[in-house]
Amino acid sequence: MTDQIDKALEREYEAGFVSDVESDTFEPGLDENVIRRISTMKNEPEWMLEARLKAFKVWQEMEEPDWAHVDYEKIDFQAISYFSAPKSMKDKPKSLDEVDPELIRTYEKLGIPLIEQQMLAGVAVDAVFDSVSVVTTFREKLSEAGVIFCPISEAIQNHPELVKKYLGSVVPTKDNYYAALNCAVFTDGSFVYIPKGTRCPMELSTYFRINEQNTGQFERTLIIADEGSHVSYLEGCTAPQRDENQLHAAVVELVALDDAEIKYSTVQNWYPGDENGKGGIYNFVTKRGICHTNAKISWTQVETGSAVTWKYPSCVLKGDNSVGEFYSVALTRGAQQADTGTKMIHLGKNTKSTIISKGISAGRSNNSYRGLVRMNPGADGARNFTQCDSLLIGDQCGAHTFPYVESRNPSAIVEHEATTSKVSDDQMFLCQQRGLDPEKAVSMIVNGFCKEVFKELPMEFAVEAGKLLEISLEGSVG
Amino acid sequence: MSEWLNQAITQAQGVSDWLSPKRDLALSALADVRWPTRKTEAWKYTSLRPVEKFSKTAPASFSKASSLTQIDGFECLDLVFENGQFVTDLAELTLPEGLSIQLASQADSAKQADVLSKFSSIKPERHVFGLLNDALVQDVLVIEVADNVSVAPALRLTSILSLAAQAHTRVLVVLGEHAKLTVSEHYQGNEESLNTGFVEYEIGADARLEHYRFALQTGKAVSLGGSHFQLAERADLNSTLVGFGSDLSRVDVDMVHAGENAFAKMNAFYLLDGKELFDLHATVEHAVPHGTTEENIRIIAADQAKAVFNGRIHIHRDAQKTLAELNNRNLLMSNKAEINTKPELEIYADDVRCAHGATVAEIDKKALYYMQSRGISRAKAQVMLNFGFINELIDQMPNQELAEWLRPQMREKFSQMEVK
Repeated sequence: MTDQIDKALEREYEAGFVSDVESDTFEPGLDENVIRRISTMKNEPEWMLEARLKAFKVWQEMEEPDWAHVDYEKIDFQAISYFSAPKSMKDKPKSLDEVDPELIRTYEKLGIPLIEQQMLAGVAVDAVFDSVSVVTTFREKLSEAGVIFCPISEAIQNHPELVKKYLGSVVPTKDNYYAALNCAVFTDGSFVYIPKGTRCPMELSTYFRINEQNTGQFERTLIIADEGSHVSYLEGCTAPQRDENQLHAAVVELVALDDAEIKYSTVQNWYPGDENGKGGIYNFVTKRGICHTNAKISWTQVETGSAVTWKYPSCVLKGDNSVGEFYSVALTRGAQQADTGTKMIHLGKNTKSTIISKGISAGRSNNSYRGLVRMNPGADGARNFTQCDSLLIGDQCGAHTFPYVESRNPSAIVEHEATTSKVSDDQMFLCQQRGLDPEKAVSMIVNGFCKEVFKELPMEFAVEAGKLLEISLEGSVG
Repeated sequence: MSEWLNQAITQAQGVSDWLSPKRDLALSALADVRWPTRKTEAWKYTSLRPVEKFSKTAPASFSKASSLTQIDGFECLDLVFENGQFVTDLAELTLPEGLSIQLASQADSAKQADVLSKFSSIKPERHVFGLLNDALVQDVLVIEVADNVSVAPALRLTSILSLAAQAHTRVLVVLGEHAKLTVSEHYQGNEESLNTGFVEYEIGADARLEHYRFALQTGKAVSLGGSHFQLAERADLNSTLVGFGSDLSRVDVDMVHAGENAFAKMNAFYLLDGKELFDLHATVEHAVPHGTTEENIRIIAADQAKAVFNGRIHIHRDAQKTLAELNNRNLLMSNKAEINTKPELEIYADDVRCAHGATVAEIDKKALYYMQSRGISRAKAQVMLNFGFINELIDQMPNQELAEWLRPQMREKFSQMEVK
């Protein structure tokens, strides 16, 4: 048994290859000049540069937060390169045929359907490689429906009125340390606009990958669902295996106007570092959405990667009758640390939120749920239900729960419950008695444990997520 | 920090007596402590303005008559602090065999060394007002129960403050093996005053402690204190905490499972009205396997009151087979009141069963409707339902006399809430 465990624990990170793509990378370091250079490279208008420089000033005055239940070496922000573009991307490809075949192979290895498979899957992909958006597929088909789906750098050029109006409206520059940094140095990301009353004809998807050594990835995503529209957005992430820690500080903003619905799903599989916690991605991400009247935002996340995760996809339920949902599976193993959860801020009347969080800790990892539910005085008849369950596998790991409940409205109802336990001996016995080996049994039990969340994921992602969990859990049975 | 605090600390620096080693430690720790603000996690919801504003003048003197509360049928030995001074004449008390009560300053040096070794070993260091108490106390009241002794009468510790007084009291209670004791802590007063009152309990193997803390200061009384317990093997703790709010009332409770198979139960409830604030931080440390903890917390906040609860359960590595449960239910009566609750779990052992639950809501409308349909006025129905909500915990109090004494007070408080 122990041998099996050891072997499985040594399992290599499957997305840990480095692509041999020539790239243009800035020297490490951060000052105003770097920001000006990023802005120039992107050929940005003056207002954008000003916003960046302002954010940089704000960031310099802020302190790095230390309240999360994670422990890591302080980041040297001067040792990071803030821009890396694959060289062959200088002349942007006009179609898929022009994309560097090496890049395409990278994505194939990752299993994202970029070409034919895409047709079948009906997924439009905006792939972000290091700092630049490589290619956005299916753009034509989307534009027929009036949907804008493009790299945010293009949106700044082509749709400045939308970007100006909404960028920073949900996550202001001063929101937090990493958001401020992102505002100053963000390099690319996706931009989505769904026009009034439109149901986006296909699922939109972005794939992020950090390839270059010593680079940080600072992407910025902005999704605007105009009145009565609907969109489902998928996001996946990987990074090659490196000994150094790499920083990923993204900001995602969702705006759901009246009666709109946004479904945002993430499968995060950044490189988690080796067994001793060496290397891996620091995933410090700010994600937040605002719901206007009758709107709905649903976050679903499956987090299996990153050395340190610090991520709280949140909903501001501003409009009456708006709905926020958060479904999360976070699995940590080895020396991984995750501090993740959500915030549900109820402002409008009859707003509803549901939080289902499943944490699985194995190895020597630490997995924390941190959540806030706030009922403001105006949130008459608001309702929240929170359930966070933790599963411990092995006696060296930790599972923690830090829920904040703040209620200022007597007609609002808040319910929170949390449980922590290990895989029960009875369940294991039953499965083994039926002829399953312990490994399969654990995998099955864990799958059942996460079912409530998986069923919220779009089909393709649910399969991927299930597989990811299974691989990650191999040999964790003691 | 405020003026009076700086003054108090400067004064404490000059004092030299048997407590000096601990006082010096606390003073040097205080020098490094940052004054808590809204950004300090443990004080996130609780403003320290009343402490900062507090100005110490000469305290008013006491009229003896008003001092002690009568509790019918409650058999107890009274130990009284007035404005932080221990005023009970110990020579006049007839103590049952096996029970000893003394002031550490009047004990021999061997005893003092023993007290010093235990001083602040149970109370955790993180609390800034705990450190302040360490630095400012002048004496320690030491209560000891010998092995195998059951003390029949309860001990009632009363701390009373007059206008403009500040008091810092410290008690150490040690229960020997198989010992039994009931301690009831009463904090009272409604005049502008400030006190820190900390009690440390060391509960021996197989010993049983029945504990009450009535944090009943109201009005402008600022109260910052704590009850801290350490449980040896198979020790049994049953604790009840009752709180009324004041400008600032904060209680820290720590329960440490230091021996295996110990059992700790805490019921707490607080009722807040007006602009009152009550803040309870309860921490349970499961340092060893096979411990059991049960916590029930109920809060009612009306008018513009503010309730804060933080319940942390920390299961250390190797504390296997721990059972820990925390249940927090809250009633919010007005949309100017607020309830902030944060039940926390921090778990490093896998073979444990831990759960917590928290709810915040108003009174069940269906229950209210049902009672009204039976001819009970809405106001009265509300009082009855509120009372029922709290009474479930009062019913669980092992001491019936204390429960009987408490019920009418609760009823009165509820009917006052209703008038508004």
